Amino acid sequence: MADSVLRLLRTLNRGVAYLIGIMLLVCAAFVLADILLRQVGTSFGGTDEISGYVMAIATAWGMSFALLELSHVRIDLLRQKANPLGRSLFDIFSMIVMTAVVLIIAYQCWPVLERSIINGSNANTPLETPLVWVQGPWFAGWVWFGIVSTLTTLSALTLIVQGRFAESERAIGAFGEADML
Amino acid sequence: MITYTAVGLLGMLALSIPVGIVLFLLGIGIDQFFSAFPLLRGLGSLVWSSSNSATLIAIPFFVLLGEILVRSGVAARTYAALDKWVSWLPGGLVHANIATATMFSATSGSSVATAATVATVAMPQAEKLGYDPKLFSGAIAAGGTLGIMIPPSINLIVYGFLTQTSIPQLFLAGLIPGLGLALAFVVMTAIICTLRPSLGGPRRTFPLSAMMGALLHLVPILLLFTAIVGSIYKGWATPTEAAAVGVAGAFIIAFFFGRVDFAMIGQATLGTVKITSMIMLIVIGASFLNFTLASAGLGRELQGFLNGLGLSAISTMLVIVLIYIVLGFFIETLSLMVVTIPIMVPLVVELGYDPVWFGILMIVLVEMALITPPVGLNLYVVQGARTSGNLSDVMLGVIPYALVLLLMAGALLIFPQIALFLPAFLS
Repeated sequence: MADSVLRLLRTLNRGVAYLIGIMLLVCAAFVLADILLRQVGTSFGGTDEISGYVMAIATAWGMSFALLELSHVRIDLLRQKANPLGRSLFDIFSMIVMTAVVLIIAYQCWPVLERSIINGSNANTPLETPLVWVQGPWFAGWVWFGIVSTLTTLSALTLIVQGRFAESERAIGAFGEADML
Repeated sequence: MITYTAVGLLGMLALSIPVGIVLFLLGIGIDQFFSAFPLLRGLGSLVWSSSNSATLIAIPFFVLLGEILVRSGVAARTYAALDKWVSWLPGGLVHANIATATMFSATSGSSVATAATVATVAMPQAEKLGYDPKLFSGAIAAGGTLGIMIPPSINLIVYGFLTQTSIPQLFLAGLIPGLGLALAFVVMTAIICTLRPSLGGPRRTFPLSAMMGALLHLVPILLLFTAIVGSIYKGWATPTEAAAVGVAGAFIIAFFFGRVDFAMIGQATLGTVKITSMIMLIVIGASFLNFTLASAGLGRELQGFLNGLGLSAISTMLVIVLIYIVLGFFIETLSLMVVTIPIMVPLVVELGYDPVWFGILMIVLVEMALITPPVGLNLYVVQGARTSGNLSDVMLGVIPYALVLLLMAGALLIFPQIALFLPAFLS
C-alpha cells in the first residue's frame, strides 16, 4: 500500500515537472522574442508580468517534485551519525514538521486568492490580468504540495512502523546536496 | 530576539529539518513571541509576492543554461584548448583546471555545476598523465567555487532579491574579485609547484599553430559570456532576459555538437525544476523571516546589540567574517547565505557599509564554505568524479586555495574598492 502510493505520487509529480519545464521553456522563448522585437522598435508588452506569473506557478507546483526527489536541502550532520532506526526517526520527525508548515502555508495562501475572487481584482499592470487566473493555479500548487507531503509522511510512517527502514529512507531520507546533480 | 533566532536556527537545522522550512518556523515563532501584530496573516501575500517575480525567473533560466551546457560536450573541448595555453606553467595541467573553471564560471551561475563539469573532463587526464591527485583535485574544487562569483551568479541574484540591491551592480562588483581569485589560484599553484615540482605534473609546451587552432574551441564559451554579460551592460536586457539569451545560446552550442534530443531536454528540464524549487523554498522562507524580523523591530534591537558590544566597525566585521568561516564548516552555499542575510545584512548596513560590497565579501566566505570539511560540497563533487583515492586527498589539496580565499576576504575588508571600483566606474 505505502509503496504503491509513493510510486503513484512520483509518477504524477514527474509529469507535473515536465509540464513546468515546458512552461519555462516557452517563457524563455517568449522573453527572447520580446528582446528581438524591441530591437526593431516594438514589443509584446507585459513579458515581465507573465514571467512573474510563470515563476510563481512553477515554484508552487515544483515543490512536490523536489520533495519526492529528496532535493529540499537538509543539514544531515547529526542524522548521518545515527543507526537506521535513528535516521528514520530524524526523517519522519522532519517530514511531520515540514507537512505541518506546508499545510499552514497553503491555508494562509487561500485568503490571497479569496480576495481576488471576491473583488474580481485585476492586476495593476498594462495587461490587467484577472488575478484569479494566475492565483488559482498558484494556490492549487501549494495545496498539492500539502497533499503530497501528507501522503508521503503517512506512507513513510507505515514503512517505519513495519520496520522497513531502507524503504522509508528512499522515500524521505536525506541526500547531501552533492547527490542532486 | 537575535539570540532566539540564532539558537532556534542552529537547533532546528541540526535536527535535519529542511532549511526552507526552518526559516518559515522561525518567522512563525517571531510572530508568536515577539510581535504585537499578527504577522502570520501576511504569510500568504508574501508567498505570492516573493515568487511572482520576473527577477527570480532568472534562476531557472540560469540553471537550465548550466544543465544544457554540461550535456553539450563543450567542456571537453574547452579543457583541451586551455591545456595548450597554460600547461607550460609550473604545475602543468593543474592550471588548465583553474582556467576551465574560470571560463565556465563566466557562463554558469552555480559553483557545484562548475566543479562537476570540470571534474568530469579533467579527472581522467590526471590519472592518465600521472599527476599527484591532491593539488590536481583541490584546484578543481577551488576553481569551481568561482562559479558564484564571476557573473552570472545565482547566489548574487538571490542576495540582490532579498536585500533589494541592484543585481547588475552586484554582477559588476563580482567580476574583478572573481578574476583576481582565478589569477591568485594560478600564482599559488605555480609557487607550490616551483617549490615542490612533485606536487604538479609534466610541463608541456605546444607549437604556436596548435595554440592558435585551440582558440577556436574557446569561441563558444566566450561568445556565450559576451552575449549574457554584454546584453546586460549594453542595456539591451535585464539579468532575466540575459538568462533567456543564455539558454538560447546553450541550446545553439549543444545543437552544434549534435547533442540536442528529447532525452537530453527532458533530463535538463527535470533537473531545472528540482533545483529551482529547492532554491525557492529557501528564498520564500527567508522572505517571510525577513518580513517578521523587520516588523518585530530587528533594526532597533540590532542598534542596541551593537552599542552593547562596544566594538568598532572593523572589529565587528572581523567577528562577522569569523562567524561565516565557522558556520561554513557545517552549512552550505545558498543555505548559509540565505539564513544569515536577514540578520547580517541589516547589521552591516547599520555599521555604514555598502550592501553591494558585503554581498561580494559574503560570496568569498561562501566559496570557502564550499571547500571546507566536514560539509564542503565541492570536495564531494570532485571526489565523486574520481575512480580511486580518498576524500582526504581533495581536502589536503584544497588548503592552499582556501588560504587564497581568506586573503581575498582580508583584501576586501582593507580595500573595498576591489569590489566597488567597477560598478562605480561604469555607472
